[in-house]
Amino acid sequence: MIVIENITKIYQTRRGSVTALDGVRLEINDGEFVAVQGPSGSGKTTLLMTIAAMLRPSRGHVIIDGHKLYQMSVGKRARFRAREIGFVFQMFHLIPYLTVIDNVLLAAGVTADKNPTARAMELLNVLGLRDRAQHKPSALSAGEKQRTAIARALLNNPTLLLADEPTGNLDPANADVVLNHLSAFHKHGGTVILATHSRRAEQLVDRTVHLQNGVIGNSAGCSPSN
Amino acid sequence: MKILSLIAKEIRHRWINFLLAVLAVTIAVAMFVSFCTAERASERETARIMLTMGYNLHILPENTDIDRFLLTGLSDGTMPEQYLEKLASRKGFSYNHLLASLQRKMKLRGVEIVLTGLAPELCPPGHKKPPMIYQIEHGTAYVGYRAAEKLGIEEGDLLELEDKKLKVVNCLKEQGGIADIRIQCHLHDAQQILHLPDRISQIQAVDCLCFAPTDDPVSILRSQIKSVLPDAQVLQSRSMATARTRQRRMIRDIFAVVMPGIAIACGIWIAVLTMMNVRDREHEIGILRAVGYGAGRVLLLFLGRAVVVGLLGAMLGFLFGTALAQYFGPGVFKITAPTILSPQLAWLLWSLLLAPVFSAIASFIPTVLAATMDPAAILTEE
Ligand SMILES: Nc1ncnc2c1ncn2[C@@H]1O[C@H](COP(=O)(O)OP(=O)(O)OP(=O)(O)O)[C@@H](O)[C@H]1O
Ligand SMILES: [Mg+2]
Repeated sequence: MIVIENITKIYQTRRGSVTALDGVRLEINDGEFVAVQGPSGSGKTTLLMTIAAMLRPSRGHVIIDGHKLYQMSVGKRARFRAREIGFVFQMFHLIPYLTVIDNVLLAAGVTADKNPTARAMELLNVLGLRDRAQHKPSALSAGEKQRTAIARALLNNPTLLLADEPTGNLDPANADVVLNHLSAFHKHGGTVILATHSRRAEQLVDRTVHLQNGVIGNSAGCSPSN
Repeated sequence: MKILSLIAKEIRHRWINFLLAVLAVTIAVAMFVSFCTAERASERETARIMLTMGYNLHILPENTDIDRFLLTGLSDGTMPEQYLEKLASRKGFSYNHLLASLQRKMKLRGVEIVLTGLAPELCPPGHKKPPMIYQIEHGTAYVGYRAAEKLGIEEGDLLELEDKKLKVVNCLKEQGGIADIRIQCHLHDAQQILHLPDRISQIQAVDCLCFAPTDDPVSILRSQIKSVLPDAQVLQSRSMATARTRQRRMIRDIFAVVMPGIAIACGIWIAVLTMMNVRDREHEIGILRAVGYGAGRVLLLFLGRAVVVGLLGAMLGFLFGTALAQYFGPGVFKITAPTILSPQLAWLLWSLLLAPVFSAIASFIPTVLAATMDPAAILTEE
């Protein structure tokens, strides 16, 4: 269970402060597939980063399974993130000098998985990247890069998968592939929060949350399924 | 993934960047090592010089009245010209210049002058030093300032001394000393004029060396000279020696200022390069933190690289710097070169210790700053 308690995020810049999230309250059940929609600049990325323990909010709490994320020490939060949360970025964020398999294994050192390489190969297999394991990101298509990022996000068997416009840089066919993988993770009991503009995503999710100027509007679509 | 293999992969990927960083450390260390080696050599050379060298001696004939010599600067006795060769060829007697002369006060057209016959200056075999004083050709003369004025002599004039004619090739500028009343010519011309064939009145030995460690090098030099010239008197002229010593001390003082300067400059250089590497890789730090790396692991990754750069640069720099000192050192420090310019293992250890520490310290602060930032703050920055 994820509880987002009255979160406000104000970015301080040299040209004044920007309120990206303004008192957001949200509860997401375990195993739920939630889409976050909203216009550009409405705060989707900010919200996902905050839930992913990567961005400290100015006010409010994020509580995952009873753990208040931003009351943990930096190191403890990093370990929690490694264990429990997978994150897929719109910009992929792969390390250019590492091969596909090494990028996927990047997170392996942090947890005590017995055989991370076997797990990584299994994921690459599922994601259709087995033949690309030894390639550098520069040799991959956008879709392959994003699937590599998904493999990296799933390596440590997280309970929560966050995806920030993972299909934003992909053609429709590749976008479908990525969405199907998120959906598969959800079907295996994982919680997914997806920031997207995609229409197609709406058919897969349990619920859609609308963000506007950092405030949550009416939740359209289905009610929580479980 | 293991930190070490991550470091190795980053280095392989950014190998130009890595080589540049190693090169920077190499140059810094090489400069440091070669300067240190040179400075050490210079210091020892100076110490040695101060202990045993820089003694300028007057070697005077037995029958010279020392009191009068001190008073007038002129030796009234004479000794055979062969003494010069004898002294020059004595084994173990080391010097930079030997200057034999025959000097006599005389009257020329009612004007008192000092006729000075100079033998060509002798340098030790193998040394090629420019003469300290000009060489004077046969049949020519250099005329001091006052002598020229009083006698109305100009360059190009023919000067008649006894039965000898000398062409004036140079009228000297005012010196404010005995030189102003000298007429200088070749030793053999002076011998002819004064009817003192094969005689000289003094030998000046400049920069005499004594290799025995002793508090009283002059007495050793004296006895060395006495062993070839038993009937000579030896005087030490101190003022010249201290002037030379002072000059050498100045060089050492310059080193004392320059060395810390170089050390600091090298440190800053390494620091700037390392900081640039960390800044270049902030995005990477964001990714590592996003997948769950703690600040400690990120720090280990960057400090590890800094240490690799430092160690490699230190080793290459030491080799390079030592080679540099070996190559150029002997030309500068002739005496101590063979012993002192050998590789200084202590400097290798210092470089191996300091270069990695320098680059690690330099990368520490920017890495800590980047590693403790929220990953999102780095990743959303474009
Ligand atoms: N690092 C930052 N510093 C200052 N302001 C920021 C920063 N990141 C985001 N913002 C601002 O916060 C607001 C929300 O940004 P955010 O990236 O969360 O929006 P978004 O919904 O993800 O937009 P998009 O659909 O374009 O990705 C925007 O007005 C943005 O300009
Ligand atoms: Mg966004």
